[in-house]
Amino acid sequence: MTTTDKPSQTTELQSMSPTEPGAQTMTLSVGPQHSGSGHMRLIVELDGDIIINAMPDPGYVHRGIEKIIELRNIIRSIPVIERPSIIDASNLNHAWVKAIEELQGVEPPARGQYLRCLLNEMNRIMSHLYWLSIYGVFLGHTTMFMWPLGDRELFIDLAERLTGARITYSYLVPGGVRRDLPQGFAEEAIKRTIYFEKRLDEYEKIFFENPLFTSRAKGIGTLSPERAIALGSTGPTLRGSGIDRDLRKDEPYAAYSELDFKVHTRPDGDSYSRAMVHMDEMRESSQLIRQILKRLPSGPVRRKAPIVVPRGEAYARVESARGECSFYMIGEGGDKPYRARYITGSYRNMAAIPEVLKGVRLADMPTSWWSIDYWPVEADR
Amino acid sequence: MSITHEREEELIKAIKQRFPADVKDATVLRQSRIDVTVAPERIVDIAVFLRDKLGFDHPSGVSAVDYNREARFEIVYHLCSVQNKNQRDIVIDLKESVPRNIARAPSLVSVWPGVENYERESLEMFGLRFDGHPHPEKLFLNDNWNGPPPLRKEVRFPTD
Repeated sequence: MTTTDKPSQTTELQSMSPTEPGAQTMTLSVGPQHSGSGHMRLIVELDGDIIINAMPDPGYVHRGIEKIIELRNIIRSIPVIERPSIIDASNLNHAWVKAIEELQGVEPPARGQYLRCLLNEMNRIMSHLYWLSIYGVFLGHTTMFMWPLGDRELFIDLAERLTGARITYSYLVPGGVRRDLPQGFAEEAIKRTIYFEKRLDEYEKIFFENPLFTSRAKGIGTLSPERAIALGSTGPTLRGSGIDRDLRKDEPYAAYSELDFKVHTRPDGDSYSRAMVHMDEMRESSQLIRQILKRLPSGPVRRKAPIVVPRGEAYARVESARGECSFYMIGEGGDKPYRARYITGSYRNMAAIPEVLKGVRLADMPTSWWSIDYWPVEADR
Repeated sequence: MSITHEREEELIKAIKQRFPADVKDATVLRQSRIDVTVAPERIVDIAVFLRDKLGFDHPSGVSAVDYNREARFEIVYHLCSVQNKNQRDIVIDLKESVPRNIARAPSLVSVWPGVENYERESLEMFGLRFDGHPHPEKLFLNDNWNGPPPLRKEVRFPTD
């Protein structure tokens, strides 16, 4: 395999001649740049400074993970599965073990299910905080860059106590989780979530009610509910268009059917709505963490599961931070899958990028694009 | 199994009734999971029926599988409902088989615009052609990639 750089799409770029007399529009190549989330490129067609067409050009961080996981046993694949979105490692890991467990017919013990939800919700917060800090960068709001990254440490530190790793945990294994809660974890975690929710109030005051943000987000980059559905959008992007779709409610897995939480939506489908859904979800996840720790049942955290993918097929999905993450797995009875199709929230939301950017001013492109929470590495896999 | 699959059976009945000759196989895989294998020639009509009459409005992905020992590819559309809240948990795997040497099938972008990227990926990774696709170009791969479609089973890693 050669490792040459990905060349520009020459056919697209040849039409890029802004000085051509009589030219009505200009095609501009934005990127490939690292916007804090992996390289990707957008090809935008402009009329003045209004975007009339946008085309995502992904693939700069493609790792061929679907091939790699066909060649490794299911346990060795776990760290690979987490790589596309290390800030949301637990949720991706969950989709993987869920597919395996569906084929094996293994059901993890209740305590294991609760601990899975615990790390999932911590990850959702960490992922949304990372998203928010990059949003701050895009708007030139340095405080909003610093604060979320700083507060993210609250949960990174908790995750380290729970799993032994700060970011990539490989905590979920077929049959349950790797280890039980350490001593004193619950008290510390509850204290931190209460502090974190106070911080969220401050975020709202300094950023979400700030005209610097609202004037560049309200009514900009709209995605109608009909289009959001037809394009297969998912996660906060779909909920930002007013649709209360959340797998934790619609197809409850792990311990979610026993937990009380709300699915947050916003009706307008603009950048502001999508951003506020992220904000509401952080609050909800924070109270979910307390709820999980208070209701945590006793017992084992893991059941024995063989390192085998039994013959058959399964389609397993979870609600990750960026939307549905699913595995379509085909087993042949060996220790690796015959085929494992990996579809992530960012990959699904890629289809919404052209729709969201149409009619947006070039200066508002980063904020509209980022409101989708499109994570290039997660989309490329 | 003690759980009944009434909703799933109802859906299968509706599909079979409307397309008795074109549905090759339709089964309930497990709770909320349905497999429907159809003839590629009629997949567009069946897709429109699933979307308009049964409410499967939300495309969740497309998978291609290389069954090289059987000399065929299988294309699988994973379909869900959002507007019909009673079947939000149900996933229909709409499948079609194409021979490995004539790897082409009709595109379903006209039915679900959201499948455009997945079909493009199946094109570059498996060499599957989708007739009627608006942008039949590479999505993730280098433009100068001249090798075989990399997710085909005959493509091996050097260390494999």
